[in-house]
Amino acid sequence: MVIIETEGLAKSYRVYQKREGLLASVAGLLRREYRLIEAVRGINFTVEQGEFVAFLGPNGAGKTTTLKLLSGVINPTNGTARVLGYVPWRRENAYRRRFALVMGQKNQLWWDLPAAESFRLHQQIYRIEPGRFERTRDELTDMLAVRRLLGQPVRELSLGERMKMELVAALLHSPEVLFLDEPTIGLDVVAQHKIQTFLREYQAARNTTILLTSHYMKDVAALCRRVVIIAQGRIIYDGSLEGIVDRFGGEKIVTLQFANGQPPADLARYGEPLPAQPPRAKLRVKRGVASEVLTALLSSYPVYDVSVEDPPLEEVIAAVFAGVEAGEGMTNDEVRPR
Amino acid sequence: MHTPLSYLRVFGTFLRNSLVRDMTFRANFLIDTISSTVWVFMNLGFYVLIFHYTPMLGAGTGWGKYEFFLFLATTLLINSLMRGLFLSNAVELSERIRTGTLDFLLVKPIDTQFLASLGRIEWSAIGPFACGLLLLAYALAQLGLVPGPATAALYVLYVLCGVAIYYSLMIAMASTSIWLGRNRALLDFWFYITNFSRYPMEIYRGPWGTPLRHFFTFLIPVFIAVNVPARVLVRPLELRAPADWLLPGFALLATAGSLVVSRWIFNRSLVSYRSASS
Amino acid sequence: MRFARASTSWTILRISLQERLVYRGDFALGTLIRFLPIITQVFLWGAVFSAVEAVSGSRRPVAGYTYQAMVGYYLLTMVSRAFSSMPGLASGVAREIREGTVKKYLVQPVDMLEFLLLTRVAHKLVYYVVAVGPFALVFWLCRGYLPGWPGPEVMAAYLASLLMAFLLGFFLEATIGMIGFWFLEVTSLLFVYMLLSFFCSGHMFPIDLLPGAWGQAVRLLPLQYLAYFPTAVMLGKVTGPDLARGLCAQFGWMLFFLIAARVTFHYGVRRYSGFGG
Repeated sequence: MVIIETEGLAKSYRVYQKREGLLASVAGLLRREYRLIEAVRGINFTVEQGEFVAFLGPNGAGKTTTLKLLSGVINPTNGTARVLGYVPWRRENAYRRRFALVMGQKNQLWWDLPAAESFRLHQQIYRIEPGRFERTRDELTDMLAVRRLLGQPVRELSLGERMKMELVAALLHSPEVLFLDEPTIGLDVVAQHKIQTFLREYQAARNTTILLTSHYMKDVAALCRRVVIIAQGRIIYDGSLEGIVDRFGGEKIVTLQFANGQPPADLARYGEPLPAQPPRAKLRVKRGVASEVLTALLSSYPVYDVSVEDPPLEEVIAAVFAGVEAGEGMTNDEVRPR
Repeated sequence: MHTPLSYLRVFGTFLRNSLVRDMTFRANFLIDTISSTVWVFMNLGFYVLIFHYTPMLGAGTGWGKYEFFLFLATTLLINSLMRGLFLSNAVELSERIRTGTLDFLLVKPIDTQFLASLGRIEWSAIGPFACGLLLLAYALAQLGLVPGPATAALYVLYVLCGVAIYYSLMIAMASTSIWLGRNRALLDFWFYITNFSRYPMEIYRGPWGTPLRHFFTFLIPVFIAVNVPARVLVRPLELRAPADWLLPGFALLATAGSLVVSRWIFNRSLVSYRSASS
Repeated sequence: MRFARASTSWTILRISLQERLVYRGDFALGTLIRFLPIITQVFLWGAVFSAVEAVSGSRRPVAGYTYQAMVGYYLLTMVSRAFSSMPGLASGVAREIREGTVKKYLVQPVDMLEFLLLTRVAHKLVYYVVAVGPFALVFWLCRGYLPGWPGPEVMAAYLASLLMAFLLGFFLEATIGMIGFWFLEVTSLLFVYMLLSFFCSGHMFPIDLLPGAWGQAVRLLPLQYLAYFPTAVMLGKVTGPDLARGLCAQFGWMLFFLIAARVTFHYGVRRYSGFGG
């Protein structure tokens, strides 16, 4: 069942020249200079129920803006979208009851009060039946191991604990759709891992449809089978994680271990040498010629062990972003590889 | 979805949460309450001083000392309700717009204006509110006036109308942060505008005063807010002639109009909301 | 050595001036807006005087002020306050102490009080340059309410009292800010000061209005020299030996708070460094 669909969704806005002082800004109201920023330039995609989709993209690509459009926080300039059959920016209460938004860089819990009080407010705003509320709350706080912290003022919690509380707050009303904007940003590795585990288990149990934006590859790799790469307001890739490497990774990494323990000095003519500890040597080799290089190496040198791997995902993606910024755009046909 | 009762329940939670928070910062709460109360008394001192020299504010207006105290009490009640219920929320609205945390209000399945206007209650406004009630009782006693049930009901109604008019002005001003950016001057502006209605509108007369009075009665009806309820007490409504209905009737109209216009401004501003982000 | 210090002071002044000039538009608009509450006061007094006239049948002055003189009083206190008000001084000092940024004054060869004074002078200078326009406009429109140009002695005394009001206001608020070395929360003290200042400095009403013992008590305070005294000088209400006495008293208070600010700073710094912060 299709839960989210967008067509030609676009958002652009004018950024006016900022003027200092009150008088200047009042004068500025009469005659303003502005730049047009196109944050989102026509996005088409659909998401089925139960999918866990990641949005990747460089800063300013439009990922967060897309999330905000889908949650109805901002109005689009163009295009349509439907989530659960609703038009998000109409902000109907019936729609708002069925989704949740979590933003890693902004807090919504009352700062000076214990999280329990904020949860109680949530219960009333979402009109959650008391028995169900308590069960859900206990379940969530147990899964995230924050139950004992419920009575502590939020300002006394660590960053990781606060983020977990924010997640609990978002899930108290058992939303069918969850929008996560950089939920693990700024957290230490342990906290990130805990949250990833939690999200995976939660999603598997409830079949919630989740949209996640993140900068951390670990989040994406751990959780999502489907990745949408957004750059400069457009989707340039929509498919599996492995597919990215197939699509954009133009190179392979060949690791060799030599029988006589010493790597030969002239490896550089086969590919770009990478740092490695002897007796190993690493080469970066273009994909197309990988098998030839391998044959040449194996026949020319006494190779004890060999492995051929893809470059790290981060590297590939970073290269994609860099390529986009340099202007190597993709046509719409090339977007979907499957 | 949400019934009026459930809105009331949510409001109850706001009251409770704010109280807990205020009690956590007890010292600040006490200081706020005491300082606003002291401020009231010092202002009272000034007015006592003025009436030392004159029996009335404005020839033939009927605002003698204790009549003016009734006016003052009404001002106190309305201002303290504004301070307690809405002032911090308006300031926080500007902050939320600036930092983008307004997002969280927009995704909740409850009216956004309700959330934005009442989320934070300042219990320290109880001080001035109590002062207002005491002053009211004192002045009524000194004047020998005992308002009948109809007058009392009308008084409460028009005090609430006054609060509604002030609220509309405030929320409209706060919403403009979305267009004008950082609105540091919001509180100052609020003070400057409401400062005009500190005294009965009869003091504004003459070639400059009359247009001013009309402006703040018909265009930005802040004069309606305090003057109408105060008059209801001082000169109990004898609604025999049609002319007597004029001002009170207009007051109701102005209240409704202000609420509608301000809600329109609020909703319109949300459409232009940008949501400052990472 | 002297030369180096003078040039430092000049640099501070210059930079502060530049910083403030960016906001000059803000200042001009803000100045006009600050006249708004006066409008209400003017109408209030108009109502008072008309009632007095209705009752007594003639235009009687109130506590020595006619209606015109009363309006003129409020306009002139705006000038006094332009000199003596120090927005953000005390709270700024207290905040710097609380947040620890006061350390920069202790390690750099810049005296904190001098620095604050110079920046405040810069602020005021820019403010005056910008405010001269709006003030002149308002005063010209209301020239019927103001007394004519006074003689040279009164003018000299007026200017002297304005300058001293500036220094008195500065050192008074600086001292209050310095209390932050002993108590972290200065806001309540500051509020009390603001309250007293509003009522007892002549800002809200002429001190002449206060009857008997009240008036005597308030005249013992230094606050009257912030708003009331210069205005009274200009209005010709203080003359001859009273004028000389008043100026001397104003000078005395200014000196008192200069010393107080220095002393509290000295002992405050000692106490502060003792924390090993």
